[in-house]
Amino acid sequence: MGSNPAMKTPKDAAIAGYGVYIPRYRLPSEEVARIWRGGEEAPLIKKAVAALDEDITTMAVEAARRALKMAEVKELGAIFVGTETKPYAVKPTSTIVAQALAQHKVLASDLEFACKAGTEALQLILALIGSGMIESGLAIGVDTAQGRPGDDLEFTAASAAAAYILSKRDGDSIAVVEGASSYVSDTTDFWRRAGQPYPRHLSRFTGEPAYFHHIQSAVKNLFAEFGYKPSDFKYAVFHQPNPRFPVEVALRLGFNLEQIKPGLLNPYVGNPYAANSLLGLAAVLDEAHVNDLILLCSFGSGAGSDALSIRVLDGVEVKRRKAQNKVMDMLKAAVDIDYATYAKLRGKIVG
Amino acid sequence: MAISYWRRRDRYYRLLGNRCTQCNSEYYPPAYLCRRCGSESLVDVEMPTTGQILTYTILREVMSGFEGQQPIVIGIVQLDNGVKVLGQIVDTPLDALKIGCRVRLVFRKIRDESNVGQIYYGYKFTALC
Repeated sequence: MGSNPAMKTPKDAAIAGYGVYIPRYRLPSEEVARIWRGGEEAPLIKKAVAALDEDITTMAVEAARRALKMAEVKELGAIFVGTETKPYAVKPTSTIVAQALAQHKVLASDLEFACKAGTEALQLILALIGSGMIESGLAIGVDTAQGRPGDDLEFTAASAAAAYILSKRDGDSIAVVEGASSYVSDTTDFWRRAGQPYPRHLSRFTGEPAYFHHIQSAVKNLFAEFGYKPSDFKYAVFHQPNPRFPVEVALRLGFNLEQIKPGLLNPYVGNPYAANSLLGLAAVLDEAHVNDLILLCSFGSGAGSDALSIRVLDGVEVKRRKAQNKVMDMLKAAVDIDYATYAKLRGKIVG
Repeated sequence: MAISYWRRRDRYYRLLGNRCTQCNSEYYPPAYLCRRCGSESLVDVEMPTTGQILTYTILREVMSGFEGQQPIVIGIVQLDNGVKVLGQIVDTPLDALKIGCRVRLVFRKIRDESNVGQIYYGYKFTALC
């Protein structure tokens, strides 16, 4: 696999702005354990829960508006929404986002690849800018993840959105993708059949043959193709379905806890699927300095990983000061809810 | 989507009102004629996304299509340009609601036409107090 040619990322395309949206409500995992596990010990997670009147469309619009404000970009050429929880099976979310942003002369589409649809959207926008087809584009990773009541997934399946504006690189750019490497295989670790409300998973398959194999393969290929080593990176952000996996994969690949801690949000947000790793990247960009190198590696069930090396540019500090959208601020605004409120907000009980 | 809603979607999605080019008065919903100077020359303009609660009421019985959302808080918000807008106030505990409280515009679902119908999106407000 490592002998394949490296993916060529455009050097004249860069991140111009980013915005996140995390719903206000948090369900502590102890509440799920209280209802379904007889109160046994639960992982220390508070997952973000969308309100009754929120879905991926509303969260995508909120995140996108913040990203646009930070980027100070007036016109977009493309809008891609990566998600697996579309409110309509047939009717694009990206067109509703486009209407809400008053952007009509755009290529718009929804993408699905479980939890890695967001990084796919980002790479496709990069490619369109790099090819010269568009000047600027919007990539969104967003989900209102659902777990079957009582299932392991219910402890973590969460809601959030992360949006990135990419544009032609200039002096105000925030970060540039230096290298990218993707790795996929047919591995059925987690899936949801059409028309079904909740996903299924093969518990044993979600770890070694799925998450670890794909992330490790993508990152090792990236390192081989571009000559990186773990110590080159100030930060590393891995997909974080639970608090344990990202720590373990980081250590296996030679990273230390200091490198992953700033982007490790699972204990405070849960797993918002396609928004997951992009949310971690936003938290890192909130504190990164010029010339820092960031490793971002997503994972999507089914299965695949996108590994990206991202170099922070001069525009980061000025743009960050202007934006009022720090991940930490959204975490501080959280309000805990009980299982009954969660059941109402997520439509598990209907009045 | 009902045709009337579709025609007005920019009003609901972006709080798109208009401004008189003669005297700069702003309106939401958009006016056909400036109520201050009588000019027919008005241009589209997005309203500010922040303001304060002038008054509010709590609906514990809700109309069809809004079941499950009760209690619903409906308020009159004075936007930062002075324009008054009627809207739902969400994500705010009832005991935290106060007249004068600052609010921010949010994009939300207004209502669903059951599991097979259309979803209506639009603006609401969330309190910052």
